[in-house]
Amino acid sequence: MNANNQHSKLQLKNAANAALASILNLTLLPVIGFIALYLIYKKTTPNNIDHYHAVLGMKINIIAAFVLFVVSGLMILLGGFNSPWTWVYVISYFTIVHTAFIVIALWALVRSWSGDKLKSNQ
Amino acid sequence: MKYESQGIAKMYFIAAIGLFVGQILFGVTLGLQYVMGDFLFPAIPFNVARMVHTNLLIVWLLFGFMGSAYYLVPEESERELYAPWLAKLMFWVFLAAGVLTILGYLLVPYATLAEMTMNHLLPTMGREFLEQPTITKIGIVIVVLAFLFNIGMTILTGKKTVITLVLITGLIGLAVFFLFAFYVPDNLVLDKYFWWFVVHLWVEGVWELIMASLLAYVLIKVTGVDREVIEKWLYIIIAMALISGLLGTGHHFFWIGTPDYWQWVGSIFSALEPIPFFMMTLFAFNVVNKRRRDHPNKAAVLWALGTAVMAFLGAGVWGFLHTLAPVNYYTHGTQITAAHGHMAFYGAYVMVVLTMISYSMPIMRGQKAANERAQVLEMWSFWLMTVSMVFITLFLTGAGVLQVYLQRYSETPLPFMVVQDKIEIFYWLREVAGLVFLIGLLLYVYSFFAKGKEVEDIGAAVTS
Ligand code: HEM
Ligand code: HEM
Ligand SMILES: [Fe+2]
Repeated sequence: MNANNQHSKLQLKNAANAALASILNLTLLPVIGFIALYLIYKKTTPNNIDHYHAVLGMKINIIAAFVLFVVSGLMILLGGFNSPWTWVYVISYFTIVHTAFIVIALWALVRSWSGDKLKSNQ
Repeated sequence: MKYESQGIAKMYFIAAIGLFVGQILFGVTLGLQYVMGDFLFPAIPFNVARMVHTNLLIVWLLFGFMGSAYYLVPEESERELYAPWLAKLMFWVFLAAGVLTILGYLLVPYATLAEMTMNHLLPTMGREFLEQPTITKIGIVIVVLAFLFNIGMTILTGKKTVITLVLITGLIGLAVFFLFAFYVPDNLVLDKYFWWFVVHLWVEGVWELIMASLLAYVLIKVTGVDREVIEKWLYIIIAMALISGLLGTGHHFFWIGTPDYWQWVGSIFSALEPIPFFMMTLFAFNVVNKRRRDHPNKAAVLWALGTAVMAFLGAGVWGFLHTLAPVNYYTHGTQITAAHGHMAFYGAYVMVVLTMISYSMPIMRGQKAANERAQVLEMWSFWLMTVSMVFITLFLTGAGVLQVYLQRYSETPLPFMVVQDKIEIFYWLREVAGLVFLIGLLLYVYSFFAKGKEVEDIGAAVTS
């Protein structure tokens, strides 16, 4: 059913840890989570499932950081710190987009447990 | 359907859906009254419509929980229900009590209702969500006790599974915490304490157990994943729910005249409350990812996954948003609260009941799954209702942020009603989203009658 048996135990473990670090960086442990993720990434070699999940996690987090902070920052810059409307947009935007990234990272974690990539290769 | 008595769930589910329609009709009425203050006045004033809206919600969710238990427990326990006649009798008692109470709200002034039902003998009326006359509350206790006895005996004399044990624990908790509804101290601070012991300990405590067990049951059925895996998850989820949820009650004790330490206890423990919801999402995703087969009831799988995501969003994310004392200082009792209340109730409890209905209703009607067209319509209704609830939440959040800013944060705070005028646009938008929700719900009801090509039970192993 899944590609479990093609990966070594260690690779699976690394993949799961990478996916976990990615979620932690998005939620409880920002920055620290990313450092952990980077350290796991360094241990992996290309074309393996752990490498895939480490890179995926880093991509998700870099994109998330950009989309969340840069766009929110722009909203505040353009809208003005003291305008109530700025905060209407920033808070709604940040909450919903942040959750979307967490849900994607959750799915990645679940896929890493079964040794799969985010999307199944047909 | 393995056991005949499971079929009793059907009448409970039909009543639940009927009352759900009523709840939403009053919801859109309320939404309109927000922007057109005298709509339906004096026939149905806002406070009455609000009471009907929230009470119908609670009552139909209880119908949904009971129906779910009557369906689930015999199958898990591998025996017929202990006393099917009692379940049928209690259905009519509960329906009569519910309908009479709602009619009471609508037809006579609340104070008269209190007099008519002799509230002075044991005053319990007047608290939000618990407005029912004392006699109705006693009726609820009788129905719930009979229900607990019935499924309790079924479980005790049958096979015991982790799912039924978690479910019955949650249901007993529901009954026990409801007893606080009968204690209404004169001291307003104590009064609020005990009110929250019902409301908070329900939705952020024992109902989570009910939700987790129902979700686990449907997921086992539609994915064929091993029980052992699911049981381990259930243990962790309920442990997290109780650890965070019990002391998390403190997030309601910040500003009601209680000691200061609640600001710390409430903030810290309630900040952990998203974890069980987060784990339910992880759990549902994991089980669906590892599924052994593709169940022909695609709609049920969609509802199950939708519940996991939306409960996390509504309870976990929108709950966390305003749960820390320094934030809640500003947001307490604003539209932020209403935004969270809507999405959490919908995402967790409405959706989990609809998941159970979606899975079991076709089986009770003699099919493995509804026909293709019916399923497509049902999935449309899923998206219409869910997306419009997301929009209701977003509009209320927007209204709430502006409200907090203009009324509480700004250096020149404006009066409540002046602010309400300024945020009117959001209330209009909420009303539009509410109407879309209603359309989605009507489509949902229609989907039960839609004819189409029967699905084949391929039951095939997943190939991906
Ligand atoms: C499915 C679970 C949940 C449901 C159905 C729910 C529902 C509600 C409702 C209806 C209210 C408004 C009560 C009132 O004042 O009338 C409320 C208030 C509140 N909820 Fe939840 N909730 C859930 C979970 C959570 C979680 C997990 C958190 C925290 C992480 C949370 C935090 C809060 C807070 C802080 C308030 C008080 C808001 C205020 O000060 O006005 N809720 N909830
Ligand atoms: C399944 C869907 C729904 C659920 C679970 C639900 C639940 C609730 C709850 C728990 C409250 C009390 C909120 C609080 O105390 O903070 C409430 C109030 C309310 N609901 Fe709903 N509701 C739903 C649908 C709707 C719809 C479609 C509308 C209409 C547009 C609506 C409009 C309102 C209004 C206007 C209030 C009164 C808010 C206030 O007092 O300021 N609801 N609803
Ligand atoms: Fe609470």
